[in-house]
Order: sequence, then C-alpha cells, then structure tokens
Amino acid sequence: MDRRSFLLAAGAAGAAAASGAGFWRWLEIPAAVRAPGRELGHLLRNPGAAPAPRAHYETDVVILGSGAAGLAAAWRLAKLGHTRFIVVAGPEPNGNLSSGIAGEVRYPTGAHYLPLPSRESAHVREMLQEFGLILDGAQSERPYYDERCVVHAPESRVLIDGLWHDGVLPADALPAEARSEHQRFFAQVDQLARARGSDGRRAFAMPIVESSADSQWRALDSMNFAAWLDREGYRSTALRWYLDYACRDDYGRACSEVSAYAGLHYFASRAGEATNAERGAVLTWPEGLGALARHLAQSAGLSLNATDARSTMRLLDGAAISLREIPGGVQALCASLAGGGLETYAVKARRAICAMPLQVAAHVVGNLHELGFDAREHLPAQAPWLIGNFVLSGFPKERPGAALAWDNIVLGSTSLGYVVSTHQDIRVGPPQRTVFTAYHALSEMSPRQAREWLMRAPPAELLERASIDLRAAYGWKLAACCERAEITLRGHAMAVPTPGYLSNRGLLALRETDGRILFAHGDLSGYSVFEESTWWGDRCARRICSV
Amino acid sequence: MIDRILILSVFIVASCGLAYELIAGALSSYLLGDSVLQFSSVIGCYLFAMGVGSHLSRYVRDDDVLARFVDIELLVGLLGGVSATLLFLTFSWLAAPFRATLYALVFAIGVLVGMEIPLVMRALNARSAKFSDLVAKVLTFDYLGALAVSLLFPLVLAPRLGLARTGLLFGMLNVAVGLWTVWVFRSSLAKPAAQVLRGAVVFALLGAGFLASDRLVTWAEKGLFGDEIIHAVTTPYQRLVITRWQDDTRLYINGNLQFSSRDEHRYHEALVHPALESAPWAQNVLILGGGDGLALREVLKYQNVKSVTLVDLDAEMTRLFSTSAPLTALNRAAFGDPRVTVVNQDAAQWIEHSERMFDVAIADFPDPSSFALGKLYSVPFYRLLAKRVAANGYVVVQSTSPYFAPQAYWSIVKTLEEAGFRTWPYHAYVPSFGEWGFVLASTRGAFAPPQHYRIQMRFLDAEVTRGMFAFAPDMPRPPVEANRLNNQSLVHYFEQDWHRVIR
Repeated sequence: MDRRSFLLAAGAAGAAAASGAGFWRWLEIPAAVRAPGRELGHLLRNPGAAPAPRAHYETDVVILGSGAAGLAAAWRLAKLGHTRFIVVAGPEPNGNLSSGIAGEVRYPTGAHYLPLPSRESAHVREMLQEFGLILDGAQSERPYYDERCVVHAPESRVLIDGLWHDGVLPADALPAEARSEHQRFFAQVDQLARARGSDGRRAFAMPIVESSADSQWRALDSMNFAAWLDREGYRSTALRWYLDYACRDDYGRACSEVSAYAGLHYFASRAGEATNAERGAVLTWPEGLGALARHLAQSAGLSLNATDARSTMRLLDGAAISLREIPGGVQALCASLAGGGLETYAVKARRAICAMPLQVAAHVVGNLHELGFDAREHLPAQAPWLIGNFVLSGFPKERPGAALAWDNIVLGSTSLGYVVSTHQDIRVGPPQRTVFTAYHALSEMSPRQAREWLMRAPPAELLERASIDLRAAYGWKLAACCERAEITLRGHAMAVPTPGYLSNRGLLALRETDGRILFAHGDLSGYSVFEESTWWGDRCARRICSV
Repeated sequence: MIDRILILSVFIVASCGLAYELIAGALSSYLLGDSVLQFSSVIGCYLFAMGVGSHLSRYVRDDDVLARFVDIELLVGLLGGVSATLLFLTFSWLAAPFRATLYALVFAIGVLVGMEIPLVMRALNARSAKFSDLVAKVLTFDYLGALAVSLLFPLVLAPRLGLARTGLLFGMLNVAVGLWTVWVFRSSLAKPAAQVLRGAVVFALLGAGFLASDRLVTWAEKGLFGDEIIHAVTTPYQRLVITRWQDDTRLYINGNLQFSSRDEHRYHEALVHPALESAPWAQNVLILGGGDGLALREVLKYQNVKSVTLVDLDAEMTRLFSTSAPLTALNRAAFGDPRVTVVNQDAAQWIEHSERMFDVAIADFPDPSSFALGKLYSVPFYRLLAKRVAANGYVVVQSTSPYFAPQAYWSIVKTLEEAGFRTWPYHAYVPSFGEWGFVLASTRGAFAPPQHYRIQMRFLDAEVTRGMFAFAPDMPRPPVEANRLNNQSLVHYFEQDWHRVIR
C-alpha cells in the first residue's frame, strides 16, 4: 500500500468511526432520574435530631398527604363547608396522581386511567359530575360522560411476532382452544360481576368494603390467583399471560403472588357503564389522573402558591415526620428539603387525617401500635414501579399492523407497555411533541431485590429496563425521535393484595379508628386504586363533620 | 464482422442507457412536478452511478469479460425495462416511498450501464484492435446512440408508446444484444445454453409486459390522475396534486379528488347557499377546512357577511390557493377579500380555545377515512362547534355520499342530533363525485328550504333546492349509531360502505 492510499484509507476509516460515534451518540437518549420521596422517606428510618420548627400553624383539621386520599378528604371537607384545614403535601404533591409537562404536552408520572366508576363508587361519580366530566345522570345506571375524557378509539393493540393486532387478546391471532378458554373465563367473570351475596351486596364491589361478606367468595382470599386458575383449568399461555399482565398492571405483582379474591375483583368489580361509551371503557387524560388531582385541589380551594392569606384552607410544602396526640388535639412536625437543608414547621390541629402510605405512617405516627396496627405483622408488601416518560419530537415509524393506540402492549413481555399522552387530542395534524409513558412493575424480582436494584442501578440501566417494550416496538428508531426520557422510581408504589389481605387485622383496626387521628389511604383496602383511596378520604371528612 | 457486431451493440447499449435515464427523469417530473429538479437529480445520480460501475468493471477478470457483459445486458434489460412500470405502480398503489425507489432504481441501472462500455472496450481490445481506433469507434457510436434516443424519445416513443412501454422496448433491445452476443461468441463462452435460457425468460417477461402494459398502465393511472399535473407538493400534512385537462382543473389530496372545476359550483353552491340564504342577518361566518377558497368564494357573495374566518390546517394549501393564478381564477381571489381572516391551525384545537361567536359555520373537512379525521365528525367536536354558533344560526357539514356511504352519512346526521342539533339532511348530484350529501343543523333555529335566492346561481334555484331536501326511496335512513370518540363507529361505517362500492 503506498503512502497516498494509506492516508486515504486512514482518513476514510477515521471519518467512518467519527460518524459511527456520532450515530451512537445520536441514538443515546438523555435520561433524568427522579425518585420522589426517597430522600425524605429514608430519613424517617434514622431520624436524627430535627432542627427546631421555623414556623407554627394552627388549624382545625390537618391532612397529611396530598395523594388521592388526602385530596378527596380536602374536597369533601370544603364541600361540607368545613374550611379550616391545612393539607401538608407530602414529599411529592399529588402522590400517585402526579404528572409532568414537556412544552405543551402533559404526561402522567403515576396512575393514568380510571375505569368507568360503578354505582358503588358514588363518590367518584359525584366528583366527575362536579368537574363537568359526567354531563348527565351521575348516579344512574349509565351516566352520560364528556367523551373527551373517555378513551378514544383505537384503545389498545398488542404486538405479536412483529405485527400489531387490535385489542388485547385478538381472537384471530390465537389458537382455537385458547379462544374457548378465554370465552369461558370472561363468561365466569361476567357471572361474578352480576352475583350478589345473601346480604344483598355485590360479590365484588368497589370500594371493597361494599362487597358482600359471604364466605363463599371471601374464601378465595386463602389461595393465590394462579392456584385458582389452575384449579379451574385455565391453561392457555396467552390467557395466563394476559391475567398476569392484568395483575401486574393493577397490583404490581404476578398472579402467583396475588390473592385469588383480588385477581377476580380486578375483573368483576369494574361494572361501570355509560350511555355514550362501550362497557369496559376507561376515562383518561393527557396527564393521567393528574387531571383529577388538579380538579380536586381546585374544588377544595388548594394551591401551593396561594397568596390569599385570609384563606383558612392551605396547602403546605413538605412532609410530616412525626405526628402525636397532645392535650386537645394533635401536633404534626413537618419537614421540607427546600433550599438544600432540612427545615421544619409544626402544625397544631384538633384532628388529623393521616393520608400517607402505611409504611410511612409506621414511622410518623408514634402510637400506631396502640391503634391496633403492628407494622412488623400487618404492613402489606409493597410493589416497586418504574415509569419511563419518553418525550418525542415526532412519532417513530411503526411496525406493520394496527395503528398506534392509546395503550400499546407487547405479548409475552415482562413490562406493561406504553400509553400515548396525546391520544385524546382532537386533531388531524400531528402535535409538535408527544410523550410515550412506559410502565414497568418490577415483578421479575422480589420487591426487596427490586428496591435494592433501584437504589444502585445507573441511569443507563434504568433506561434500558424502562424502555423494554418501546425498543421491542421501534428498535433504534425510538431514539431518533426521542428528545429525552424522564424516569420515575417508585420503590413503594402500591400495596400488594397477597392472600389473606382481607383479614389483615391491622388494616381492619385502622379503618375503624375514629379518634384524634384518622387514616385515609388505598392501603386500607389492601390495594392502590383511585376509587378506594378517595373513598377513605371521603369517609374521614364525613366522620369529622359527623355526616 | 465481430468488431462490427460489438460496435453495433455499443450503439444499442448507449441508446438504451440514455433511454432509461430519460424515462426516470420524465416520470419523476410527471409525478412529482418541478421538472428541473427531477431531471437534474436523476441525471446526476445516474452519471455518478455510471462512474461507480466503470470503477467496478476492473474487478471483472479478463477471461470473464464476455460472460459478464451478457449477464449485465440481461440484468439491465430486466431492471431498465420494468423501471417505468414499477415506478408507476409504486407511486399509485404501494405505500413504498417513491423517491427512495426512484433513486435506488436509477442508481442500480446506472451502475450496470457504467460497466457496459469498459467491458466492450476490453473485449475488443483483447481481439487486438488498434487501441486508438477502438476508443474512437466505441465512443463515436456511444454518442451517436445517445443522439438517436434523445430525439426519438420525446418525438416518437414517449407520445406513441408511453413511458412504460418505451422502457419495456428498450429492455428487450438490451436483452437482444445480450442474446446476440451469446450466439456470436458461443464458442468462447463457458455456459452459453444457460445464458440463452435466462435471456429467453427475461425477454419473454418483458414481451408479456409490453403486450399487457396497456392494462397495467390503466390500472396504475386509476390510482393516478391521467391529466397533466400543473402543481404537486407534499406539505407536512398531505400531498396536494393539481391537474388540468382542457378547461378542467382538479385538486387531489392524497390521491382523492377534492373538486373538478367543471362541476365544483354544484358542490359549493349546495354547501353554502341554503344556509346563508336562510340567515340574511348573518355577519360572521366560520369555514372549517375548505382551504381551496371555493366555499369562501360563495360566502363572500353576500353583502351582509362582514367577516369570514377560515380555519385550515395546511398553510401551504391556503398559500397555493391565494397565489397561483389558475387557482385564484377559480376562487375569484377570495383570499384577497379584506373580510377574510385565515387561520392555519387544527380546527378542533382552534375551536376549543376560540371565544368568537359565528352566525353560520361550514365544516368542509375531508371524508372521515381515518381515526384522526373521524374526530372532526364526533359528538364532542359538534358540541364544541355548537358553543361557537349562535343559537338560531346554522351549521352545515359536508357528509360523504348518502347513496354510496349511507351508514356513514346518516351516522353524521345522528351525531349532530346527539350533540344537541336539529338537522335537515340534504343531497345534490355532483357529476365527478356522484350523489353527495350535506347536513344543515341548528340548535334552536328553524329552517325551511329557501323559496328564492338573492344570489344568481348556476345550479340552485327554488325547485332544485326543494328536491335536495327530499330523499328518494333508494336512499333510506339506516339505523346507525352516533360517532363517539370511544368507538369511532363512523370510521368503520365509512370503510364498510366504500368497500362495498369500490371493487
């Protein structure tokens, strides 16, 4: 090789390497990781000496936590004319209802949909009516909804062997015996949805406390869902994958870890209907349930930046680190990490609504043991979640088959698919930006292992796990349109309804507590859904106002 | 003798090479418009590819030259021969990206053609012709071939045979050269029989294509336009093609006919006048869609109209129809009228945030053929629209054909009713569309078909108007659902209906 061609070859190789590196850098998705509540929450385990309170507040009711339960409590108090209350936001405003915004596009960082509420969830229907989301017949068999928030067609699709199919369990893509098993399962569930107990209540109602107490159904809580499915002869791989998917989606863990009662409750309790939507439709917003959080806070007169000093309803930044009874009431010591260091303030009130997860309450509420709740024995298992929000400057090229839907899942995946935040837009031209939100319950590891992994995994590893389904759907084309990713870690995202959860004594005790300290949280039901959390918040507020 | 044969093949090969280049250039300017750009880029790509081919020819071993030359002839014949037909079909029927296919084909043919002359020269050189003579002869005939085709193509071949058949003809010539070479040099080729067989197959294929190409092209043109394209542009949202044949100007959006200037007056008079004649107090009019300005032209005929807001997603569309002379002649420069405000935004997004009130609103959207478009015919969209229109004002919606797509048409009626409107469905015969449907609606107002019109029109009078609001027994109202966003029944109806009509 002469000198000239050597130089040429070297130059070409260099250029190729440089453009290759550029290509890879271009394919790298910049990721930001947030772990809301982690720092403040873990501080509770080893409470050092907290600094002296910088401010003192006094009010009638203090609500500790601003997730679904806390906001619902504030909403009901305000509606009942009770205006002397303070909400302490907790480490993350709106908790599992939180959301983010990228440019003009909002996206969920927590829960993202609400099934059409059944008649038992009268409180949810009341909210939706007040927010203008139910237009007519709020408490009737079939309310009339604002269609903008009813999920638009196409609702879901599933990726099977590189081809997208309409729906979640497409009949045309499954073998015949699997199809008949599906029909049998859904017929059985349908029957359970209509079944009523000797007490006249529905067998599986939401909120769960409205369900029938009949032992024939309660007995299901003694086995796990997978065992029940085996017993009933459901063996189709696709059906079992789907049911596993459903359990992971709602409870964060697989069928084999979830109570059979809870597994069936998922399907049989969702009996809500609408005049102007199909059965089984769901309500959703670009920012997920963040939209409901906004409505609730607004209706309750809450705002973090409230400047109206005369208002007796306040929302304070920070989280409770201790709550104790004092003569004539309660005192909450609250801390915030604003401004770099730890700052505290104290809130004195006549009564407190403890609207925080129970594993936090176990550290915050001094006398939890006296109230009948022993954390070592009664604390439910908690599922860790990973939520990836991918901000896209355009829509990546799709694989063949069904068009992009709201919910997009990958058959056989350990992840839970992704939703499209701009799906509910009424528009013809593509939006400037969209956000794909990928959900992943880390059920492939034990909850403890998963939390340890979340603590030490570098961003690239978290990103890889959060984008499993998106990469299956788009490959490298995803990165080409992805501006950035935001990864939200929720180490203790939700309680898992494991077998025996219906008879958890500690939960039953906290439900009935009616002293200075009341409890409101989805954990009391044993699982985390909007209808349950808000039901407890609503009930606490009613108890305080004696209605 | 052998020399002469090779020189003659140079002549043919050169003409074929140029022919493919011309066909690709002509076809792309025909389909994409902007002929300067198309011709330059096709020629550039082709010449560059020829250079690549010439370079690659050095890797052909000396004892292989003739065999490879024959192979290349067969391949060029096949690729070049079917190129025009393939591009036609790609453009009109397939979802494949047309430009990518075009340049890939041009490049591939260019590479192969680029190898031909070097190989011929080496073959001749090996037969010990004098090198200076050889170069002179080969290049002379190369350029002569080019001259012949450059004159034949535009004057005879393209007009008589069309692009597709011209391509196939030259393909057959290439294959013929290949076969002839095999015959002449059969003794010095390793496997002449196999090459003859291959050549025969390709020749038969091209021949069959040549005979069937009439049908193929008609089939391709069915998805195409047939007429001369005077403007074609791909905007961020859609592909606009404007064609003209004699006095007929047509607009196609994504290949669907939007109007023909011969009968668009029927469509637009029917769309606009029943509502505007019945609202003599109307001052503010809203047009959603309708970026061609033709409905606008009709609205502006009313002196009582003080302002018209036209909301169309596509800025390129409204720009085209406010600047291009043949188009402004059609809409009588409606966009120049001081009463007109153009908003280039998504209609639903705009209406959700607008606070203006209108007396009449005209929704002239493309047919609900996709989930995105279906949303513009949904209950929530009509509810939003109802908030922007005076209670006794009118809304008119273009709503597909009640004859060809009865489920879709009546689903739109039902959707408007569900959104709180009273409706007065009507239809008119537009020759280029067939029987076409509209729905007039109002939340509080009453309506009766106008008895006379203040405006002189070509199509509408009291008699015709009365007929429009009557539905013949062969156009009954089927039981259909309203179009809810949750299931978008309209999109399914529309698909079913047209599937039944179009074979």
